[in-house]
Amino acid sequence: MSKKVLVVDDDPDVRLFNVTVVEENGYTPIEARDGEEGLKLLKEERPDLVILDVLMPRQSGIRLFRDLKTDKSLKHIPVILLSGIAKRTFLRSQKALTEFGGESVPEPEIYLEKPVEPEELSAAINKFIG
Amino acid sequence: MDIRKILFVTKFEELWFDAVESLMDLRKASLDHVVFLNVIERDKVALRRGKGYQKVEEVRLREMANIRFINWAETLFEKGLEVGAYIVVGSLVKQVITAVKKENIDLIVVGHEKKGRIEQLYSSSDILEIIRRSQTPVMVYKYNLDNTIAVEKPFERPLLATDFSKTSKTSIDYLKHMNQIIKKVTIIHVADPKSLKQPSAMGIQKTRKDIRRKLDDLCDLFIAEGIDASPAVYVGNPAKEIVTAAKECNATMVITGTSSNPSLKEKLIGSTPRFLTEKTIIPTLLIPPVT
Repeated sequence: MSKKVLVVDDDPDVRLFNVTVVEENGYTPIEARDGEEGLKLLKEERPDLVILDVLMPRQSGIRLFRDLKTDKSLKHIPVILLSGIAKRTFLRSQKALTEFGGESVPEPEIYLEKPVEPEELSAAINKFIG
Repeated sequence: MDIRKILFVTKFEELWFDAVESLMDLRKASLDHVVFLNVIERDKVALRRGKGYQKVEEVRLREMANIRFINWAETLFEKGLEVGAYIVVGSLVKQVITAVKKENIDLIVVGHEKKGRIEQLYSSSDILEIIRRSQTPVMVYKYNLDNTIAVEKPFERPLLATDFSKTSKTSIDYLKHMNQIIKKVTIIHVADPKSLKQPSAMGIQKTRKDIRRKLDDLCDLFIAEGIDASPAVYVGNPAKEIVTAAKECNATMVITGTSSNPSLKEKLIGSTPRFLTEKTIIPTLLIPPVT
């Protein structure tokens, strides 16, 4: 059975792009439209990798990343952040949330800024589950 | 009733990021999530004679909005806030209601631009329609008014206009736990001149005293929560007197309830919330009726 990749992005065009790249590499994509749906599918499907957007309705990727990396049963799952939000902002936000009393979380395994070329995303995916 | 999540509705023409930043004081209370909504009006991308649906124009408008929202979101993310965004094509009221339901919003923030009389009428109607259908408080910011005051901290010195109804009580519940951001609240009641038609000066004074006593009781609710509060009685047209009171007490925001069932007269000539939405030069917070 092929490995599963959870793609979380509210933009259907970006989701389609990511899903296509995942499929082209021989993996099984699972799609979520926001952080809430993403977290639900993470727990149900236990994917091998997550490709995660940051700015989304209902729950952002920042919160989902924290939820994932502070959950004992999920935190081993590697995450590729793929967003228009700058990496520096993402790291500062995590620091601010930790200062507000949250648990400290590690940096994401890979941070890619949108837009990304298919080869770049493929390389990132295969680095973890290839 | 905490303001944990706000929906910030913007067309970028009348409501900018400084309005969001002025609400960051709410972070001290309970705010932890800001959701941006940009509604692209249908007539900008559709219903053009001979052109059909202009997908390319929709993509352009979406991406322009997205670039702005990313800039705004980055500032808020760095403050440790949760941020979300919707960019949708459709009617403003419907899209706001949809977002409020999806996101479980505690406060809607909208802009109110200076417009022609007809446009203004429609714009105010949209705001009142949103509050009627969503049951969520709506804060109206004023932009492009010649005499608009840039309010840095709207919740610092609010003026609460009460008619002693259940909705007024809801307004008090909404505010009284914000002792970290409200420095002083002024509570006013605008008496109907007809109620002062007593046969003697003493009768009129008694009416005023009774109103004042009720206002004192409401002030005590705030004082018990550590918020300074003072009462004031006005007489006359409610909308006009509220605007006068806001100026006299140097208020940073006007707060009032809305009616669930406006009278025919109100529908025809405009309700108090509509007047305030259009005429005050500071933000107005409209609290929905109790259902």
